[in-house]
Formats: sequence, C-alpha cells, structure tokens
Amino acid sequence: MRNLIFSEAYKLLKQSKTYYALAAIFVIEIIILFSAYSQGQSVLDLLLDNLKNSFHFEGNLLNGNLLSYLILNTLWFHLPLILIVIISGTLTSEYKDRTLLSVMLQPVSKWKFILSKYIVAIVFTLLIVFFLALTTFILSYSIFGKGDLIVYLDTLNFFESSDAFYRIMWAFTVGAISMVFFSVVSLTLAIIFEEATKTWILGAFFLIVSNLLLKVNFDNYVLDNWLYVKLNDTWQYLFYYAIPWDKIYLNTVILIIYTIITMVFGIIIFTKKDVN
Amino acid sequence: MMRQILFIYLTSVCFLNGQNIDENVLRIQQRMETIQTFTANVTLDVDISFVNIPEKEARIEYIKDQETKVFSEDFILIPKKGLDVSMHQLFKNPFITVDRGEELRNGYTYKMVNIIPTDKKADFSIATALVDTIRHRIVEYEINTKKDGTYIVKMSYDKDTAILPDNLEVEFEIERIRIPLKYMGKDAQVDKSTYKSNAPKTGIIYLNFNYSNITYQKKTN
Repeated sequence: MRNLIFSEAYKLLKQSKTYYALAAIFVIEIIILFSAYSQGQSVLDLLLDNLKNSFHFEGNLLNGNLLSYLILNTLWFHLPLILIVIISGTLTSEYKDRTLLSVMLQPVSKWKFILSKYIVAIVFTLLIVFFLALTTFILSYSIFGKGDLIVYLDTLNFFESSDAFYRIMWAFTVGAISMVFFSVVSLTLAIIFEEATKTWILGAFFLIVSNLLLKVNFDNYVLDNWLYVKLNDTWQYLFYYAIPWDKIYLNTVILIIYTIITMVFGIIIFTKKDVN
Repeated sequence: MMRQILFIYLTSVCFLNGQNIDENVLRIQQRMETIQTFTANVTLDVDISFVNIPEKEARIEYIKDQETKVFSEDFILIPKKGLDVSMHQLFKNPFITVDRGEELRNGYTYKMVNIIPTDKKADFSIATALVDTIRHRIVEYEINTKKDGTYIVKMSYDKDTAILPDNLEVEFEIERIRIPLKYMGKDAQVDKSTYKSNAPKTGIIYLNFNYSNITYQKKTN
C-alpha cells in the first residue's frame, strides 16, 4: 500500500499539469492583488458609505488582511476548479495512456490502487491549500502590511489585525476540507466517466451547480443545513463576529462523512469495473 | 398714556433680553476658552446595530483654534461631533440663547437653553443644552446640524471642578447599510422588512477620556 501511495505521488509530481496548476494559483493571487490595489478603495468606500456621515476614519483598511480575505474567496470557485482538473487528470490520463491496464496486469489490488489515488489526491489538495495560504500571507503582508479587516456578513464586522490573521488561518484550514471534498468527487467522476473532457465538464458542472444551490433556500431544515452544498461555505462562518464553533465542527464532520461515502462509492465502482 | 409707555418699555426689554446670551452659557464659554491644549487617551466603543467593531483606543491632541488630531495604530471610527469636548463647535460662531426653563435628569435639575447661531456660516441651526448652573458646565446637548443630522451628546464628569468631560455618549442617526448582496462574504440572511425600511437607525458611541497635559490660559489683570 505504501509503495502504491509513493508511486501515485511520484506520478502526480512528474506530470506537468501539477506545475501548471501551481502557477495558475500563483497568477490568480497576483491578479487579485493588482485588482485590489486598483479597486480596493472603491470597494471600501461602498462598504463604509453609510458611516461617512457620522464618522471620520483613521487607519488603513486596504491592507494585507483584506487582501488575504479576498484571495481566500478563491475557495468559492477558482481553486476547486483547478483541483478538479488536476485530480481527475491523475486517473483519466492513465485511462487514456493505457498505463492503468499495465498496472492492473500486475499483482495489484484494485481497491488498494484506487485508495492510494484518493489518499494522494487528499494530501495533494491539503498541500495546495497550504501553498495558497502561505503565498497569500507572504504576498499580502509584504506588499500591503497589516491592519484591521472589514468583512460584510449580514453586518459590517471589523476584526483587529491579530484576530483577522487567526480567522483567515482557520478559514483556510476549514476551507481545505471543502477542497478535499471536491477533489474526491472529481476523482470519483473520473472513475465513472474515464474520459478527461467529460470528467472536466461534469466536474465544472458539479461545482457550478453547488455554488448555485448554495444560494437556494429550501425551507427544509435537513436540506438547508446538511445538504453538501450548504457545508462547502463553512469557512465563511469564521468571519461572523462571534464564531459559531459548534456549527463549524458539525458541518466539518458531516462533510468529512460525505467525502468518505464518495470515496467508498468510487472504490466500489472501480473494483467492479473492467479496465480496458 | 403711562400704561402704553410702560407696555412698550417692558416689551422692548423682554425682546432685547431674549437676544442676550444666557449668563450661565457665557460663563461656560469663557471657562472653555481658557483651555489652550490637552492630550487624552480615548477608548471608543461603537454601538450600531449593523456594525460590529471591538473597543478601540486612540490618542487625541487638542490645540485651541486648531483641528483636533487623532492618532491610533488601529482602524477607528471617529464621531464627527463627539470629540469636540471643548464645545468649540457650539461657541465658534456668534449666537443667541433662549431660556427654555428647567429639566430634571437623574435627580438633578438643569437649565435648558437653546443656542442659536446668528451667523449663516454655522454648521448647525439650533442646539439645546442642559446646563449645570452650580458646576458651570454643560451635561447634555442636542445639536441639529445642517449636513450631518441630529446628534445628542451626553457628558459626565468625574470631579465637581472638572471642565472637560471624562465620559461621553454620542447618539446619532444613521441609515441602514445598503450594499449589493454577496458583495463580500457568505450569503447574507436578508430581513426584507429591514431592507425596505427607510427609517434611519440610531447609533451610539461611548468615549472615555483620560486627560493629560491640560494647559490653561493665564489670567491677565
């Protein structure tokens, strides 16, 4: 099993797609930093418009913490999309190149093989989120410095710099669980559909539908609280003024259960499938 | 004939008296004008229904006839009217006062006076002040500004002899925030009735002053 994991990790690191993805994440960060630099003040003006009549403002809100928060918002769409492409590619490319057939001709257990792919996908996803968080903090703080963070979530919430860092760090951690879910789903789609283009389209479709359903109010307690789409934004709870930790723990545990169920589903399908 | 002359005399005296400045207000103004400079460490606590902000600290430097300077390492919301503890804004333009009788607050009786600027350049149209005639200071005033709405400023003092207030409570009207939904952050729970309502909300900011280096104008004989 360990050899399979090392082998899968080696394949992932050898494929050029992995490095294109890392570069894409870095480029997205740079674009966000530049756009925030040019448009950030107008965003803040809009947020603070109502307070202008009553208050003068002292201090700078266009700082590293706001930029980190804006980059963190790539967890909505950009990062999961990149992960879907890379993670599903680890299997679809093997179907395409027929290397999977070669592997299956060896004395390798099918479920161990696909489980090792899932494990590597999960570890890779966590590393990518860590890479995003690390580069976010380095770029944002070195260019824009520290300062209070302003976030609009029903109310205008201001957080002191140290508190903002703590919340963003935890948001990346909780957000990583959502990213793992999307990675696992994309690998499962690859198992089902085998072909790269189909998998990417369906993966992107899954992501778009998830984002759309997030906004829908089902007027049903179970659907509104436990449907997977309602759990993928759990990291945003870190920016409520009083952090609802109980809700975050519960959502995270449920999402982990969904992830495991998806993995088991994928493993069962793969083991029952003939590899051509 | 004598009655008519007496009537005209009394009417004119009353009228002229109404244009005078209340002697208590005048004394307070003179007391305030003796303050030349001061610095203070201020804690600011904002209470607005749609704003959550931790208590902040700032340092202010006041020099007479200059704009008060505020320094802070954090982002702070500075009330446009609250930091004017010297009441410079009230007295900087020529004004008249109208005695409005007495008002009972917290077991104390205060004199209520309207302060009406006579200069069109003044940034407020009328202010109503509660004057402590024994300790010669203002404990509360409501100011109707021309641009920034109405403010109520309540002041409390630690010592009977203090000129400058130690605690300030500034109440102001503020409109409910209106920004595009999901502009930043999680999908907001929308209270439609609140969003449709045009009624302004009330905000309060609490300020606590810790003064140092207060300098007064030397008395000249």
